[in-house]
Amino acid sequence: MDKRVGDSGHCSEEDEDESGDEVEEDVSMEEEDSTAEAEGSFYCFLSSGAPRWKESLQQKASEAFLRQQEAAPNLRKLVYGSVADDSEVGGMFRVIRPQKCKRFQVNALDCSRFNPDTSHNWEAEEMLNSIMDCFVTGKWKE
Amino acid sequence: ICGPNAAIHGLVYDGCNFFRQRLVLSTLSGKRVKIKNIRSRDDDPGLRDFEASLIRLLDKVTNGSRIEINQTGTVLFYQPGLLYGGCVEHDCNPQRSIGYYLEALLMLAPFMKTSLKATLRGVTNDPTDPTVDLLKSTALPLMKKFGIDGDGFELKVVKRGMAPGGGGEVVFTCPVRRTIRPVQLTDPGKIKRIRGVAYSVRVSPQMANRIVDSARGVLNHFLPDIYIYTDHMKGANSGKSPGFGLTLVAETLNGCFLSAEMTSTPQGQGDPVLPEDLGRNCAKLLLEEVYRGGCVDSSNQSLALLLMTLGQQDVSKVLLGPLSPYTIEFLRNIRDFFQVMFKIEVKKPSEDERNGGDKVLMTCVGVGYSNISKTLK
Repeated sequence: MDKRVGDSGHCSEEDEDESGDEVEEDVSMEEEDSTAEAEGSFYCFLSSGAPRWKESLQQKASEAFLRQQEAAPNLRKLVYGSVADDSEVGGMFRVIRPQKCKRFQVNALDCSRFNPDTSHNWEAEEMLNSIMDCFVTGKWKE
Repeated sequence: ICGPNAAIHGLVYDGCNFFRQRLVLSTLSGKRVKIKNIRSRDDDPGLRDFEASLIRLLDKVTNGSRIEINQTGTVLFYQPGLLYGGCVEHDCNPQRSIGYYLEALLMLAPFMKTSLKATLRGVTNDPTDPTVDLLKSTALPLMKKFGIDGDGFELKVVKRGMAPGGGGEVVFTCPVRRTIRPVQLTDPGKIKRIRGVAYSVRVSPQMANRIVDSARGVLNHFLPDIYIYTDHMKGANSGKSPGFGLTLVAETLNGCFLSAEMTSTPQGQGDPVLPEDLGRNCAKLLLEEVYRGGCVDSSNQSLALLLMTLGQQDVSKVLLGPLSPYTIEFLRNIRDFFQVMFKIEVKKPSEDERNGGDKVLMTCVGVGYSNISKTLK
């Protein structure tokens, strides 16, 4: 689980920059942002009187979990990057980095072929093993 | 991307990359498109001959298209007409192989007024673009899954013409469809057999046999059911340049096709390759494609996504391997032209299965595109 939390944290760089300081001073932030629905439930938690650092842990964990759940938007963001620019979700998520329009060379060769990953060595036994079950001769489920 | 004057010029893009997909989507959606800064900083600015050839082909299959190109060829304005179809003959500029032109036609053909019969002449096989052999064995079966099939759905290689000389000829016929069927291609199933074509023209027919032997050497490790046809065209059917190559296709239990191919270096354009090396490397490319996996191979991703977009108003799901840069841009263009955005989920293979790399599940609701120009019988 720990590993996953770490992973999802890395995935969304843009949110990281903002949420980094938000989590630390969550009390002040929380008052400002209490409009959002998710924040409302969090508010109830705080008022219950438990030690503050625990709340923030839970908050962090649930945020990480939600981010994990939304692993897809990362790919989506990669593809439809510019869409996130004009749609601010609840005023919370804002893309800081401007969308790079020139991600591909605009005058490069127009070709549909996907050149293979050169890091794969198809001489090596482990690579060959990694696709064994794609064939009818491989292992079957059940 | 859309500039402030988008209303006048339609969608505005920069540069000649992704030229075909923009023109194709423009034609299908009826939206005007303006492409500027085409190689504007190049020593030889503007559109190339092969792009002009593609535009002429688009002009032949449509009725009433308006095409304006500025003096230097760096700005193109395209207002699509109606997709007409019918019998079309076209000499494809040999700078690119027929595959380049055919990829665009495959996307347009089902939506014509009358069914298309296109005779394309030029380079059938070159190392850059998907060859006609590859499109024949992967793109056509894919389109069949979307309900585009029937007697008149065929791609025939009449004459083979290798780069750089060309001299090949293919005939592509495609029936028209009023609507496209939504698909659920989420499980490719296991690969049951591997088929292939080793072709050679204007070289010793023995070349093809040497390719087959070396390719089998790699693939026999996985599967016994491998058959690679050898195709040696002679005389008038062998085009103008010598060369050889191999197309390999892995077919799964659920009827999905993954392919790889390799073509010899065109005469006078670099170091020649040995047929043994070509066979072996092509087999490794197929393994790479199997590693990527999914229900559609990497060169047909955008075709599958287009047909999903244009499907009836229902959910379509297709499992793909990693998205190619070409496909990623295609998704952005689909958003621009059809306002469709896909749900993109990463599917990691489970730990105990050796099924290659991560897959991507693409989901969308079709726009319910219907071919209004199709003639009723």
